[in-house]
Amino acid sequence: MSDFEHLIELSDFYILSQKYEEALKSLKKAEKINRMEPKLYYNMGLAYEGLNDKDNARNAYRLALELDADLLSAREHLDKLIEE
Amino acid sequence: MKQFVVIGLGRFGKSIAQALSKKNFEVLAIDENEDRIKEMEGIVSQAVVMDATDDKALKELGVADFDTAIVSMGETVEDSIMITLSLKEMGLRQVIVKAKSALHSKILKRVGADRVIFPEREMAERLAESLASPKIFDFIELSEIHGIIEIVVPKKFVNKTLGDLKLREKYRVSAIAIKRKVPITKPDGSTDFKDEVVIGPGGDSEVISGDILILLGKNTDLDKIEKL
Repeated sequence: MSDFEHLIELSDFYILSQKYEEALKSLKKAEKINRMEPKLYYNMGLAYEGLNDKDNARNAYRLALELDADLLSAREHLDKLIEE
Repeated sequence: MKQFVVIGLGRFGKSIAQALSKKNFEVLAIDENEDRIKEMEGIVSQAVVMDATDDKALKELGVADFDTAIVSMGETVEDSIMITLSLKEMGLRQVIVKAKSALHSKILKRVGADRVIFPEREMAERLAESLASPKIFDFIELSEIHGIIEIVVPKKFVNKTLGDLKLREKYRVSAIAIKRKVPITKPDGSTDFKDEVVIGPGGDSEVISGDILILLGKNTDLDKIEKL
């Protein structure tokens, strides 16, 4: 498993454990390795959403969708945040 | 089960009828416009095309037996006043009316409206509060002095219990609830959040990063929390 994949997996674990700040630390490290992976920004969106930081969550989901317009889960989360 | 009658299915009337139906209340929707009524069929318990200023027709419909009426007539101030008067004369316990102006509101109160609302103004005030203070998600004014805010937990409160924080002693506010997004894994493997609310949290309730505290207090004291 590459460092990038490891950091993404770690962020998955942190998000499910409600450790959103730690998730963001892993994701920011991952971002330095590869900025073209939609899942990276999707997970950032989840972490910011968990922190109720709606502005950053929306931006992250938008970035994920710019990289993969078919990422349905990012679209659903973004739509929900826009309506809130 | 509480029964509601919604008269006028413009933007506000339609929204309130839908929202009440979602909560499984019995809702009778009334409007003169057939298209609006057709849209509500299947959503509310009963949807009727009629002129609500016809108080005989209202009586025949059994409106007098309803608990609460919400009158939301878009343009016609006179109609909403007449309908309010009819509904109160029929004996409805609670009549809530959307008003267009201060004068309209005054007249509605005189003819017996139990509550007068200005949905756009109220929403605008709440939105202005939340835009003025990005940390505040919502604000409800209880009086000129007291309010309730929903605020993202300040950093210095994180990983502490409410007992440790001594909110009443130190800040003169009360935490009436804590809202938290809890991650869940959906059947397709993706992550979503469900909202968890702890009502009346005890002193041993711990506050974590991302929590929203719902605080009650004087507006001046709530402002101080927001500045932490």
